[in-house]
Formats: sequence, C-alpha cells, structure tokens
Amino acid sequence: MNVENRRYVIITFILFVGLMYFFRLFYMQVLDDTWSNRAHQISEKRREITPPRAIIYDRNGVKIVGNKTYFNLMVVEEKMGGDFDTSAFSDLIGWSVEEVHNRFEEIVKGEGKYYNKYSGKKEANYQKNRSYPFLKELTKEEMVRIAPYLDAFPGFYEEETSMRTYPYPNGANILGYLSEVNRQEIAKDPFYKPSFNIGRAGIEKFYEKQLRGSKGVHYIVRSAMNNEVKKYEGGRYDTMALQANPIYLGLDIELQAYGERLMKNKKGCIVALEPKSGEILSMVSAPSYDPNILVGRKNISTHYPRLLNDPDKPLYPRPTQAEYVPGSIFKLIQSLIGLQEKVITKNTSFPCNQSLVGCHNHAAPNSIAKAIKFSCNPYYYYAVKKIIEQKKLDNRYEDAESGLNRWNDYMQSFGLGKKLNSDIYGLKPGLIPNSSYYDKWYGQHRWAFSTIRSIAIGQGEVKLTPLHMANLAAIIANKGWYYDPHFLRSPLSGFPLKITRNKTMVNPEYFDPVIDGMWRVVNETGGTGVRAKINGINVCGKTGTVENYKGGVKQKNHSVFIAFAPMENPKIAIAVFIENAGFGGTWAAPIAGLMMEKYLNKSISNPEEEKRVLDAKLNNK
Amino acid sequence: MRKTKSLTNNLDWPLLIGFLTLICFGLMTIYSVAFNDESPSIFSFSEKYGKQIMWICLSLFLGVIVFLIDSDIYKKFALPVYFVTLGLLVLVLFMPPINGARAWLGIGSMGIQPAEFAKTSTALLLARYIGGLNLKQLNSKKVFIALIIIVIPMALILLQPDAGTFIVFTAFFFVLYREGLTFDPFILNFINLIPKVKYKSTWIGSHFIPILFVLVFLSLLTLLLGHKNIGIIPGVPLYGSLGIIVSLLLISIAGILFVQKFGTKRELKKVRLIIILSFIVASFTSFIVEYSFVQIADHQKDRIELFLGLKEDPNGKDYNRNRAMAAVGSGGFIGKGYKNASVSSVKTNHVPESETDFIFCPYAEEWGFLGSIVLLFLYLFVIIRILIIAERQRSSFNRIYAYSVGMFFFYHFAINIGMNIGFAPVIGIPLPFFSYGGSSMMSFSIMVFILLKLDSQRRHVLR
Repeated sequence: MNVENRRYVIITFILFVGLMYFFRLFYMQVLDDTWSNRAHQISEKRREITPPRAIIYDRNGVKIVGNKTYFNLMVVEEKMGGDFDTSAFSDLIGWSVEEVHNRFEEIVKGEGKYYNKYSGKKEANYQKNRSYPFLKELTKEEMVRIAPYLDAFPGFYEEETSMRTYPYPNGANILGYLSEVNRQEIAKDPFYKPSFNIGRAGIEKFYEKQLRGSKGVHYIVRSAMNNEVKKYEGGRYDTMALQANPIYLGLDIELQAYGERLMKNKKGCIVALEPKSGEILSMVSAPSYDPNILVGRKNISTHYPRLLNDPDKPLYPRPTQAEYVPGSIFKLIQSLIGLQEKVITKNTSFPCNQSLVGCHNHAAPNSIAKAIKFSCNPYYYYAVKKIIEQKKLDNRYEDAESGLNRWNDYMQSFGLGKKLNSDIYGLKPGLIPNSSYYDKWYGQHRWAFSTIRSIAIGQGEVKLTPLHMANLAAIIANKGWYYDPHFLRSPLSGFPLKITRNKTMVNPEYFDPVIDGMWRVVNETGGTGVRAKINGINVCGKTGTVENYKGGVKQKNHSVFIAFAPMENPKIAIAVFIENAGFGGTWAAPIAGLMMEKYLNKSISNPEEEKRVLDAKLNNK
Repeated sequence: MRKTKSLTNNLDWPLLIGFLTLICFGLMTIYSVAFNDESPSIFSFSEKYGKQIMWICLSLFLGVIVFLIDSDIYKKFALPVYFVTLGLLVLVLFMPPINGARAWLGIGSMGIQPAEFAKTSTALLLARYIGGLNLKQLNSKKVFIALIIIVIPMALILLQPDAGTFIVFTAFFFVLYREGLTFDPFILNFINLIPKVKYKSTWIGSHFIPILFVLVFLSLLTLLLGHKNIGIIPGVPLYGSLGIIVSLLLISIAGILFVQKFGTKRELKKVRLIIILSFIVASFTSFIVEYSFVQIADHQKDRIELFLGLKEDPNGKDYNRNRAMAAVGSGGFIGKGYKNASVSSVKTNHVPESETDFIFCPYAEEWGFLGSIVLLFLYLFVIIRILIIAERQRSSFNRIYAYSVGMFFFYHFAINIGMNIGFAPVIGIPLPFFSYGGSSMMSFSIMVFILLKLDSQRRHVLR
C-alpha cells in the first residue's frame, strides 16, 4: 500500500479546516451583527444622568419650589465579600438583624424583578453585580452619620439623588406633588425609568415636560464587574444633563401664605387674580397640607392615605373643582346682561316685593347700584324675567327658551359654565343651564321664567367654581374682558402659554353702574360688604349668601364675597367662598378685605378684624 | 568542518521567520491586553508583557543550545528522556493543585508544566520506535508498543486532569496514519476467527483516520438531531438515531442499486460489502452515541449541548465562549484598533484568560477580520511549512518527529482559535508562541528548534 499520498489527505484536511475558519471569521466579524451587538450589550453601558427638576419662583422672585439633595445607600452583592457583619451593619443603620435580612430578600424579589414587555410577566432579574438601593432617600444628616463607617462594609456606597423641597408650607394644591412613575408611564415615555418621579398634580403635573429638564447620557465601557473602565470613545457621544430653566408663577407666595393662615379652621377657598393679566395671585383651598409631607416614598406612604381618607378632603382642589351655587354675586352679571339687552337701564327701579321672593328690609332699590348695594332679591326677579321673557315671540314658552339661550350666551362669554383655558389640571365647567337642560327636566316648551326663577339670584341650578367667581370680579374690574386665569408668567419662564384675551358680550359702559353698586356695597352704610372696606382704597365688592342643602336637609349658608380693588386701577380681583359660614358679609367679606389690603399695602390696618377672622372656627369642629 | 558550515546554511529560514513573527504578534497582543498604566514600559517585569519577554529570551536561549547540540543525541536519548518525562508526570500528581489541576511543577509563578514537554519527548520516542519498524511486517505486539508509548503519558495527563493536552496527544494518530501504521493486526485477530475468512489487510485498520472523522461527524449529527424529526419518510416521525439509521439504510440500498446498474460484477461484490459494513458500523455508532448521551452525567451533557448550540446559557456555563465570540465578532472588518479592545481587555475582564487561552479574542477584536486572516494564514503557513520539511526528510525518524510537531501545531491552532469562534469546545490549551506563559513558549521553542536542527542535518543521515 502506498502511504506517500496520505500526506495530501492530511494537508487537505488542514487546509479545509483553515478554509472553514476563514469563512467562519468572515461571517462572524463582517457579515453577522449578532456577536458585535452582543459585545455592545456586555461591554458598554448607557448611563443616564437625570438633572434636578427646575426651580419654581413666585411673582416676586421668591423661590417656592427647590431641590434638596438626598442619598440612597446602594449595595452591590458581588462586592460585599464573605465576611459581611450583619449585626454591625444593622447597628449602624439602626435596624434589627432580621430587618436587614428581610430587606435583602425584598431587593431580590422586588427590585430585582423587572417587567418583561414581551411576555407581559414579571421576571426575576436580580444580578449580583448590579447595584440596588438598600436604603432610599436618606437625608444629609442621616447619611453623614452612616458614611464614615461604610468602609467596613464593602459593596455599600452612597448615591446622590435630589428631591423636591418647599421653603413655604403653602400652595400644596397649586404646586402638586411628585411620586414614582408607574409601568404605563414608563412604557409611554422613554424618559422615565423605574423609581423616577413624575408630577402627579398641579404645576408639577402640568409643566412636567418643562420642569424635568433634559437627561445627560454618558456612554461608558464597563467591566465584567459592572465598573466603569473608561468613557466610550473618549466621551465623544456623551451629553450633559441639563436642569430646565426656572419657572415663574404669577403667584404671590406671601399672599398665599396669608390666605392659608386666614382660612385656618375654615372650609372653602380664596382665589385672587391680577385682572390685567389673568395671573393667579393666590389660590387657597382649605383645608390644605404642607407640600413637604408628600416628598419621597417614605413620606407619601405615611401621609398620602391619611390625606386621602380625611373627610375634609385636603387633597381636593376646591378653587378649581368645587362647583358651588354662587348666590347673590350672580346679580352682578344679571345686571350687566339686563343693561346690554336694554331691558333695564341704570336707573330702572323695581319694588322690593317680598311676596315674590324673600328679601331683607332695606331702602327702595331705585337704581341698579342700589339694588346691588342692598342685594335686593325681588329686583332681580323682575330684571331677569325681562331678560328671559323679552316678548319677542308670541308663544310665552318659546320666548323664554330663546331668552334663556341668549342669556346663556352671555354667561359663556364670561367664561361661566365652561372650562376656562388654563394651565390648571382638572378644571370644572360649573353649570349654566340652557334650554335643553330644562327641556330634559320639564319637557320642551313646558317651562317659562317662573319655573326657573331661582337662577335670577344665583340659586337653583346655577353652579360656578371659585375660579369662575374670581374671574367674574376680574371681568368687572376690566369692564368686559379677561385673560383666562393661569399660573405661569409666560415671558419670564421662557416658553409660551397659550392664553387668549376674551371679550364679553357686554359693552364697557354698562359696567359703570354695576361697579358703582359694588363700591356702595363696601363703602356705604347699609352696604352688605362693609367689612371688606380698606381705608384709602376704593374696594368694590358683592356679597353672597348661598342657601344649600345636603341630602335634602338645609345646611348653614355658604358665605361668599367677590371684589376687586382699587376701583380706579384694579390690581387685584378676588373671590372668597366659605362653606357653611353664614352671611357673606360676615366672613367672606372681611377675609377678602384682608387679602386685598395685604396684597396692595403689604400691611393690615385693622388688626381687630384680622384677629376676629384668625380666631374664627367655621369648620364645625 | 562540514558540520559547522552547515549550522546556519541549512537552516530553514521560512519556518524560523514564521516562528519569530508569531512571537512578535503574541508579545504585541499581550502588551495591549495586559497593559497597565502604572508600568507602561514593555520591559516592566512586574507585568505579563515584561515576563513574556523574559520567557521569549529564555526560550530562544534554550533554542540556540538545542541547535548547537548534534541531532544524533535526540535519537540516542529518546528513551531516557521519555522516562524522565514520565517520572515528572508522575511527580506532578503529588503537587498541590492549582485551579483544580495538578499540572504545575515548581515553586510559585516559576513553575513548568511537564505535560508540555511530554509532547516533545513522546514524539521523539515514537519517531525512534516507528522509524525502526518494518511497517510491512507488523504484528499486534509492535502496534501495541507504539500505542503504549502514546497512551501512558496520555493517561498520566488525564489524571492531572488536563483534558486539553490529552486531546492534543491524539495528534499522534495522524502521524501513525501518515506512516502507514495500521491497526490491522488487532482487527485481523478477530476477523480471521470467522471460518473461511482469511484477510491480509482491512480497510478499517489502515484508513482509520478518515473513518474516525466520518464517525465523529456521524456522532455529532446524532446529537444535533437528537430531538428532531428526520422527515425522510413523509408522515412517519423518526427521531434522532432511529431516523439516521433509517436514512442510512435507504442511502445504502440506493447505493447498492446504483452499483448494480452501473458497476461491474467484481466492483459490485466489493462495494456491497463495504456498504453493508459501513451501514452496520455507522448505525451502531449512532445508536451507541445516542444511548450513551442519555446515560452520561448532567454537567457533561450540558457542556456538549452548549457546544453544539442546543442550549443557551450566556451568563452561566457558556459564559467564556459567549464572551469570547462577542469579542471576536465585535472586531468587525478592520478591528477596533490596537489597545482598543473593550470586551477582551484585562481591564474590562469580560473574557477570562484573555492573555493566555483566549488571546485570540483581543487580537481579533483589535485587528478585526483582516488581522484574523493574517494570523490564520501565518499559522497555516507554519504548519504547512513544517509538513513540507517533514516530507523532505530522508530518515523516517526525522519525518515522524516533524509530523508530530506539525500536527501539534495544527491541534493547538485549530482548537484554540476554534473555541473563540464556536467551532471547538472550550478546552484550555495555549495558542503556540502567542499565548502568555513560560512552559508553552519554552516547550514549543525546543520542539521547533529540534526540528530545525534535525532538518539542517537531514543530509547527514544516510539511510
């Protein structure tokens, strides 16, 4: 047998292997991306750096929302080593040994899991070389106590985070709060990662995108131990984390704080606007809470359930969401509509006929101004009857129908009965009935003014939010136009807010008699709102005393007051609504007065009145 | 007079240059992969690159000494050297284990691995023994002795355990094949027991290498198709071994029919026997493989399944291979550039042993496909060059030794690079002249310098 040729078998075999390797290398390195993708996956890390949220300032440049540095105590199991002294560690953080063990288990079972988008299941993904927060949201003081001893516990290290802090314990309902994002939010917006915070209410929610800033991304080359080795390509693709520009609000935090002080032990709200701009100066919802108690997981889990279950509903933003029957303040807009519709003039006189509707004893209402001053109910019965039933149509019911709808158009032009266009979440529209509303109740052409007469004096079906009421005061102060009430001071904050200048259907000249009446309410003897008077400033206002029922049982009247000042150059328009506090002139008027004086004069000239208000407990407790 | 003149005259420069080029490539890669900012000089002896330079110098020094010694000595002392090596292999078993294997002899980092040197000494003894045989008159005793020379060190190495070197020793079967040593004496003892059968040689005994590869291929096929339906007969589910056996049967019948129609009568007889025998052996192998795969321990099963890609466990049992392949694949066409390996650098440490067994990773990651094929061709060049040298020897001693060296190179090259690209299981053997490490560098240098010396004196041998 000739074995010489076997050399070719062997050499062929070797060359065949060489050729196979050649093609394999060509496939792996040039054609196929699988392995280079795998290499990216294991050796590179995209580290996102989240900037602190933007600072929020009030109209005077006072910081009302800032950030405070907190610390997470992170742990990487792989680096802990075998001789972890559990008891020494639990002593250091002030836990029991068992709690430490439990926390480790919790990390493995809780944080270690992740939600698999594709399978829709939670999957165990705990990795020993990953870092997990062992303790979250430690304050600087707490961290300073622990940090010096951490060297004894390898695998543990501190990591900075930032959380909101509120220098003033006020404005919780305006500012909102943050809490951790949920799964849907993470799925919807790639900005969010588990344990990120997101605005949950108020400004924090509405301006979430403007406040959160832009994340920085650092690409790093990481080691098998998950340590950073170097920057990827020398940091060529890295971006900086950018904190968003501060936001400026029209809010006056001092006024807000004062308002919340006045509203202590009362239930209700104050809304103050700057009529010229529509900026909200103050928006008190009572009772409220200190926004600082809803910062961080620990705080939220302790305080949130308590706030949620409080029967007085401190989380409920009354100024924008509570729809109240407005009461006599509604007479102002009825006067304006009557004048514009020319069914009355400023000198129209109606008898105070108490057989039609109840009233109190006062001098004859022989002009609009006086009717407003005395808040005469029968006067408005006659006036609104003339608005609704203009006798333009022969059929009485059709006449009422067209009259009501015309009336409703006026109301809409005042922003009533509709959601105002604003940077506030959850605004309620209130309720201004139109013909179809009553058709549902009584049937078409089965009702006339006498059926719906309660709306004449702001009772019955009519409902407004306190924000609507304040806006009504602002419209009167402006004599017929308004900007939608809003928080943001747009040019300062560096981004636009889409607000419009709205014109009402009432001409400016018709406002004068109404304003005259409002002036009389506050400044003339016998006026219903004299407690709102401020020396040296012409305050115009209107009281309201709202009859209300709860489960068919008549409750104590709500006390309402809307006002603006100074009359010549209005700088503040205000609505005060106090639930179950009685006559409008008794409580709402003085609070409005104090607020306006505080804003305009920065001081209070009538400390007795202030004390009377502060001492009052009107929340039936 | 003539001897001194021929000292460099007859030196095979292409092999020497290939060998030195590989050393340079290797050192360059170690310098990149193990680079430490604190001791940036390549001559820092506290670092692996500095140490490698030391090993290179020592190896070249040993090489020069080897080259100065007359080549007769290797033939003369082949037997005592072999026994000394066996003695070291026994001695090493009493050493404390390092990384689970008793492979190191010596103190601390200055140890040597006797198994590395056993390759050379076994090659020398085998060359001497087979070179002295008349291969036309073999009997079972002679074949048995040849096998014993190979198997004893293999067994000792397996006891360490060092599976890598154990497998490398099977390279000798290629050498036996090339020399025409057959296992017929064994096989005939059995076959001729059958009445009326009197064979002088068998196909199986003399062509064992090709047969071995067919069987290995068949075994792999059996394992790969273990749970798959081989749809050779539509509608009849046939899994794994059963499917393969049925397929083979159909192919065999087709083959016989084919020969019946187109072949001569004499051919038919021969081919029919071959086909029937092949079918029986193949079916038996396939069945045995499948059966034993069910029987073996789970961790071994895991390893086999991972290698065959039947299972994935990129962060566990398949970590090394997964990381190594990621590193190689991420090199792309032109690579990431020198010192830019991000997966396989020692700093990131994703690929373990990236300066020793997995050194191809950083190289392929830094130099990409272009660099990889340069290295591939360099190794193929060295291996083929050694085989060319082997074939030009006049003495069979020289040829057998040279073939052994060539096949060692081939094994180390094929397994080491193969495990980086998923073509070979992860077996810890170094890439010759490339990987960091003293024993491998010295033993391969001695091996190559002996070859160079034998080659340079090939004309002296007048046999």
